[in-house]
Amino acid sequence: MPDLPGSDARPLLDVAELRTTFHTAVGPLVAVDGVEWSLSRGARLGVVGESGSGKSVMSRSIMRLLPKSRVTSTGNVSFDGIDMMSLGRRELLEMWGPQLAMVFQDPLGSLNPVMKIGKQVGEGLRVHRDLSARAARSAALDLLEEVGIPEPHRRIDEYPHQLSGGMRQRIVIAIALACSPRLLIADEPTTALDVTVQAQILDLLEAERAERNMSLVLITHDLGIVAGRTDEIIVMYAGRIVERASTKTLFRDMKMPYTEALFRSIPKVTDDSHARLEIIGGQPPTMTSLDPGCKFAPRCKYAQDLCFAEEPALIEVPTPSPARSRITGSDDDGEPDVGADTHLYRCFYPVGTDDAAEALERNIASGRVSEAGVVIRTD
Amino acid sequence: MAGSGNAHLRPDALLSARDLVVEFPAAGGRTVYAVSGVSLDLAEGETLGLVGESGCGKSTTGRAILQLPRPTSGTVQLAGQELTELDEDAIREVRPRLQMIYQDPISSLNPRRRVRDIVAEPLFIALENVSRRTAMAVWQERIGELLQSLLRRAAAPLRIVGRLASVAFVLWILSETVEDRAAEGWLGWTQVPAAIIGFPTLALLLLAGAIALLGGLIWVLLAVMLPFGLMSRQFGEVSSAVGLAGVVVTTGASAFMLWRTWSSFGGWAKWLNSGGLILLTAVLAVWLVLSLAKPERAGASGVATTLSAMVVLQVFYVAGLDGGIKLAVLVASAVVDALLFRWVLRRYRVNRDAERERAEPRVREVLEYVGINPDDAMDRRPWEFSGGQAQRLSIARALVSVPQVIICDEPVSSLDVSVQAQILNLLEDLKNLMGLTLVFIAHDLAVVKNVSDRVAVMYLGKLCEVSEPDAMFEEPAHPYTELLLAAIPQPDPEAELGSGRIGGELPSPMDPPSGCRFRTRCPHAAQRCIDEEPEMREIAPGRFVACHTPLVGETAPVRVETASASRGES
Ligand SMILES: Nc1ncnc2c1ncn2[C@@H]1O[C@H](COP(=O)(O)OP(=O)(O)OP(=O)(O)O)[C@@H](O)[C@H]1O
Ligand SMILES: Nc1ncnc2c1ncn2[C@@H]1O[C@H](COP(=O)(O)OP(=O)(O)OP(=O)(O)O)[C@@H](O)[C@H]1O
Ligand code: SF4
Ligand code: SF4
Ligand SMILES: [Mg+2]
Ligand SMILES: [Mg+2]
Repeated sequence: MPDLPGSDARPLLDVAELRTTFHTAVGPLVAVDGVEWSLSRGARLGVVGESGSGKSVMSRSIMRLLPKSRVTSTGNVSFDGIDMMSLGRRELLEMWGPQLAMVFQDPLGSLNPVMKIGKQVGEGLRVHRDLSARAARSAALDLLEEVGIPEPHRRIDEYPHQLSGGMRQRIVIAIALACSPRLLIADEPTTALDVTVQAQILDLLEAERAERNMSLVLITHDLGIVAGRTDEIIVMYAGRIVERASTKTLFRDMKMPYTEALFRSIPKVTDDSHARLEIIGGQPPTMTSLDPGCKFAPRCKYAQDLCFAEEPALIEVPTPSPARSRITGSDDDGEPDVGADTHLYRCFYPVGTDDAAEALERNIASGRVSEAGVVIRTD
Repeated sequence: MAGSGNAHLRPDALLSARDLVVEFPAAGGRTVYAVSGVSLDLAEGETLGLVGESGCGKSTTGRAILQLPRPTSGTVQLAGQELTELDEDAIREVRPRLQMIYQDPISSLNPRRRVRDIVAEPLFIALENVSRRTAMAVWQERIGELLQSLLRRAAAPLRIVGRLASVAFVLWILSETVEDRAAEGWLGWTQVPAAIIGFPTLALLLLAGAIALLGGLIWVLLAVMLPFGLMSRQFGEVSSAVGLAGVVVTTGASAFMLWRTWSSFGGWAKWLNSGGLILLTAVLAVWLVLSLAKPERAGASGVATTLSAMVVLQVFYVAGLDGGIKLAVLVASAVVDALLFRWVLRRYRVNRDAERERAEPRVREVLEYVGINPDDAMDRRPWEFSGGQAQRLSIARALVSVPQVIICDEPVSSLDVSVQAQILNLLEDLKNLMGLTLVFIAHDLAVVKNVSDRVAVMYLGKLCEVSEPDAMFEEPAHPYTELLLAAIPQPDPEAELGSGRIGGELPSPMDPPSGCRFRTRCPHAAQRCIDEEPEMREIAPGRFVACHTPLVGETAPVRVETASASRGES
């Protein structure tokens, strides 16, 4: 994305044409397909999307933390001018921790089951900061306290299995924050946390960002979190970015039908219990044998013949949308306004346009979509 | 909260847990009071939501219901059957009816196995339970557990003893016997390293009174466990083969060395031959039979290792005999081997394949239920899936055996809202269709509200409030519930960030506060809350609260005071 005047000339992270393919038994699986975005210092990017759409693989590709065999990853990832793709193992080890850190989605799996948690939290500090065992321990203690682990003095000498799911998740966050990274990629960091602890953790990340200008990529399914805690959002589907916009614009003026459908499925506390939840009908695409055309087409209520034949490109909103001027106008609250002016989407019949309304009408007339806007035939 | 009392329980429940207590030992001889007297019940087809602060004991409660581990005290009844009194085998028989979806989806799935087997596993257990649970299977497991715990405890001393013994052994060979024996022509230079390498087995054989027995068992155990040790999710498929090959090679090599060395010793070789090896062979045979009685558990590599070890041992045994007997034994053992192999292969492969085949349609069906494409997924391993996909595999696995009750620990936390909606709708349908009963542990309160018929709020190992969800979300009755609900983030960028933070720290479960456990953070706490533990009581129809001054139902809080309540704990 083009940088705004006033922000640092170069983005901290620049991802271009990132493509990661797993060579599975049933053929190549392109988990991330030509993803492009960049992130300024101190900016907060939210990543949302279908389960299996490539969010975690994208982050691991950026971090260069993919499995060693049966996978190829190509493209450009530049972190503060350093070409991540060309780094060797040793250089990467130096980057992980103080430069980039990641909170993995599976807390139990990313902790060592036979090492006391204090040691695991302090390990990075010992390696990167040359701290003594003692200093690392006391730093670890502070970190445990910061992430809200009750009784840190006792917990520091416990093993992962002795902690509750939410505590383990906070340990993983503490490990990632230990070396004060410049970029933190947090993959579903709060799934095991109750709302109050979740708020506390998000506040902590916010404080890190405000104090040290840390950049944050927040991958989450909780749209309540991205709403309040990010500046810009990427929506992913089938390994692709299908929409990208500033948070406020996206929530108010989404263009991509998948985004619209996703937001409609949010269960609301105000709904009655047992209210039927709206779903996106049909199945997600089989990643090993993708059809040509828009990957969302079989499940899209606006889809036309064109959508099945040809894949739409990621394009910018043609005319300045009202939301856009609103954003620029209201962005004087000290929040970084990076990227707030870019709204990209991938769709032939964007939501809210006359084209889309006509397309929907045609689909209802042909019986593919019900009167209520539900896709009946997902072919 | 932090109340006890069972006012909220009903007589006709399908699952009923009373006064569950779970305590864990902590460092310094102290105790973690993770769950302290939680009572829950579920009518058939009902969903009970269980919410509360991270670390308050939700997962522990769920697992205690499943007897994993067994609660320190309290009772759990499933359809009138008391689970806490059942032995391990009886519990295992109950499991297909009572399933759990674990909190860490990826880590809770065996990384070495394919999806088709992982999802089908509860079915195998179910089949096995009805058709071929044998006393042998029980024994195999007991021996397995015993040996594992023995080995865990003995690992360090054994290594030391092993090393000392190996040094002593080598010295002994070198100092005392090399020359003599070499003169006798049995110890060529090649045999020294052979003796050393072949030693671990031999040393173990020599160790105690029941040398052969102990050594053999440990050896086999090590061999059986080696592939599991080598295995980790990064290696996956490759290392199954590598591990197996490693076992076969090491087994073969050490056996060969053992044989070379042993055949050179005249005297005690006879003894080993007649006593030790027979015993060892017998033990192996028993082990083999036992592992066959339950092939799903033993695993292919275990069976293969045991078999190869047995054959190798037979070779020694036969080689050590004289003349005519040798021939007879050779023929007999060959026949036995052939029969055994045939039996093993038949039983193992055929049974397994047949079971798999029978299970396949069902596995496909449940995978489709949870939105995973079976053609794509059946032959992959858990770590090849995204977090949300792995979570759905766990759900499929829990559904496959058509259980009566599922305890779901954060079952949809890794799913995007649309897949989540699909899963929640699915659970709702199954509930209506087959009376599925659920305990639903989750942090997303909107989700809990959507699925639950009753919601139980927990705090520090005790229950605060049990209510019907619409009323609870409308008007929380317990001060903790109120704070919890106030902190829900809104999916709206313009909304204020959740302001309802609970001040203060979660008190230590090793040293819970007296009286009401929430009193250290409760904005309404009074002296009485310190002195007296509140009892669960009904403040409105279907609403049970353990608080002295609930926020709903302005009836005099003293009204339901009973002698037992005012006794309290402090
Ligand atoms: N090691 C692997 N081998 C083969 N395929 C893989 C592997 N890891 C991930 N995949 C596949 O790549 C795709 C993207 O996975 P990824 O983990 O990035 O999804 P995600 O967007 O993070 O989803 P979730 O929200 O469920 O975590 C999925 O279809 C997944 O099955
Ligand atoms: N094996 C164990 N040994 C010692 N303590 C344990 C063990 N398992 C759990 N605990 C302790 O018991 C308490 C309750 O843990 P539990 O996992 O039930 O919490 P939870 O309510 O599920 O929390 P979360 O929402 O974070 O998953 C915690 O203090 C935890 O540290
Ligand atoms: S309208 Fe067409 S291009 Fe747009 S999302 Fe639907 S199927 Fe894809
Ligand atoms: S008012 Fe008293 S009894 Fe009620 S929750 Fe607060 S501290 Fe507990
Ligand atoms: Mg993921
Ligand atoms: Mg838990």
